[in-house]
Amino acid sequence: MKQIAIYGKGGIGKSSTASNVAAACADEGYQVTIIGCDPKSDSSITLLGGHRIPTIMELMQQGMEITEDEVVFEGYKGVRCVEVGGPEPGIGCAGRGIIVAIKMLQKISTVMQDSDLIIYDVPGDIVCGGFAAPIRKGLVSETYVLTSGEYMPLYAANNICKGFARLGNPLSGVICNSRIVENEEDIVRAFADELGSELLAFIPKVDVVQTCERAGYSVIEKEPDCDISGVYRKLAKVIMERDTACEPKPLTDERLRELTG
Amino acid sequence: MSPVPLTKEPTILHPRPSSIVAALYTLRDLDVDVVILHGPPGCSFKHARLLEEDGLRVVTTALDESGFVFGGHEQLVNLLRQVIEMFNPKRIGIVGTCASMIIGEELHEAVLEVNPDMPVLEVEVHAGYPNNTKGVIITLESALAVGILSDEEFQRQKVLLKEATEVEKRHGAASKAYLEPSRGDTKYTVAKRIIQLLKEGKRCINIMNAKKETGYMFADINVAVNQAAWELGSTSEIINMANLDENMGLDRVRDHARNINRDLEVMGVEVNEIIGGLDEYPITGETVNRLLAEKYPDFDFAVITGVPHAISMDNMQGMEVISVTNGPRQVLPLKEMGHEFVVVEIDLHPKTLGVSNIIESEFGATLRQLVQEEKE
Repeated sequence: MKQIAIYGKGGIGKSSTASNVAAACADEGYQVTIIGCDPKSDSSITLLGGHRIPTIMELMQQGMEITEDEVVFEGYKGVRCVEVGGPEPGIGCAGRGIIVAIKMLQKISTVMQDSDLIIYDVPGDIVCGGFAAPIRKGLVSETYVLTSGEYMPLYAANNICKGFARLGNPLSGVICNSRIVENEEDIVRAFADELGSELLAFIPKVDVVQTCERAGYSVIEKEPDCDISGVYRKLAKVIMERDTACEPKPLTDERLRELTG
Repeated sequence: MSPVPLTKEPTILHPRPSSIVAALYTLRDLDVDVVILHGPPGCSFKHARLLEEDGLRVVTTALDESGFVFGGHEQLVNLLRQVIEMFNPKRIGIVGTCASMIIGEELHEAVLEVNPDMPVLEVEVHAGYPNNTKGVIITLESALAVGILSDEEFQRQKVLLKEATEVEKRHGAASKAYLEPSRGDTKYTVAKRIIQLLKEGKRCINIMNAKKETGYMFADINVAVNQAAWELGSTSEIINMANLDENMGLDRVRDHARNINRDLEVMGVEVNEIIGGLDEYPITGETVNRLLAEKYPDFDFAVITGVPHAISMDNMQGMEVISVTNGPRQVLPLKEMGHEFVVVEIDLHPKTLGVSNIIESEFGATLRQLVQEEKE
């Protein structure tokens, strides 16, 4: 069983990448589970035809006795979707929500034992202990960093790698989600190389991804024959076959500026 | 399937015992030598201090604002190393707090990093659980995981803890949204009443149903009832029941039972009926009920010390019931159960830490003094 987490700057496309990788793996016959750890609870929405599902935390908040079938929902090609949920921005503690919800999920469901692939879609940077819970609780065996070639997403990715290094967590690879930056693929490849890792995929920026998401679908489901679907399939294959990882060596800020200069 | 609401329980407004503190006491019962509280320096201060009387050392990582923001892994690792060096412990406990658990501290990471030679019980607990028995269960799970508790004992403890929670919901501190603390009836009034009943030759069921070490003081009250009868030359029949089974519970709890039984024997008090072990106070009610129905019907009055609200009134309907508790919020529920008199032995628990003999209670002392005055 592969248990992966995709980290990266907020808004960089983690949920899009996670749901398309999940759909591509499901197409290949893998039993996939996606666990959305973002309080916005939208990680699985494009695997469920645009429908939102109840989150573990909202049911717990209501004092509900939770069972598996109330929080685990089947989406595209049997992908099992779970949303942790959490507070509105500016209140409470989303990180604690992840810790509590994952404990609850372990207690009430077997999805974390009987999947071929579990994807944790984790919010933004690892800004608190809770956001690192999937790693620190030993639930994640592979971590990937998603970035574009812009300075700020690279800065965030580099910071995340500092977190990995501190947690002793190896990095399985870097994925580039393009924002149409000049020499973008080269920049991110150089970044990955200097971390001691590898650029695993370059996902071009194309409108069809957004169009499908607005309709509530992954491109794999809605536009299976378009080029970008091929890119996601290739990335899914790489992830499923990936068996190497490195201890990332974060770059200095000066070096990051040089790379993006 | 739509979500099923939990049975709505009343929101309890008064503060109640904390799961963190429950974890500390459980670690003591598991003969842990040192506990590291991973959190702010003031967390559980009072109990941490009291537990030193029982030989348990409690230290803290003393997380401050910086610790909350930047995490306390390093502090925990350093303190764990320091504790091993300073105290040479055979068993260590690490207990979470609200602060460290909210910020996602991983106790296990520190243990892995230090890699101590002795068992370390990691207790990821905070004070936000509605029932403090949760802190006990998490601690016992950890003890099970490191191999110092058998599965059989773990399962037994879980049953007892579940029942303890139910007892509190039925007639205890969790039975009402708000329970005002009360000192109950005066010791003078109640002692006078017991003397009167003994002088009238009324038949007495004298029950100690104590929780663990609190038995060292509650037993004194049951002893005093017997002594009062002797001193007064009362013809009252007194049946002593006590949860002093020496073969039940963790080693430390069995030791308490042995110590109290030894003292009772020296004092000449015979326990007619053993109703369970010192950790079985939540389930002794059934045994008492059965004994009352089968062997001791038609008694006139009962004195119940310890956790009196765990004993139902089913077979005590015709009896005058006098209870002694150490919970000021327990007075109203006991009165509502039908107890005529409720005495509160305030601050009993702290006095029973670090002792291995029956110690004098205020109520026991009052009763003895009034008996002497009666004789004069």
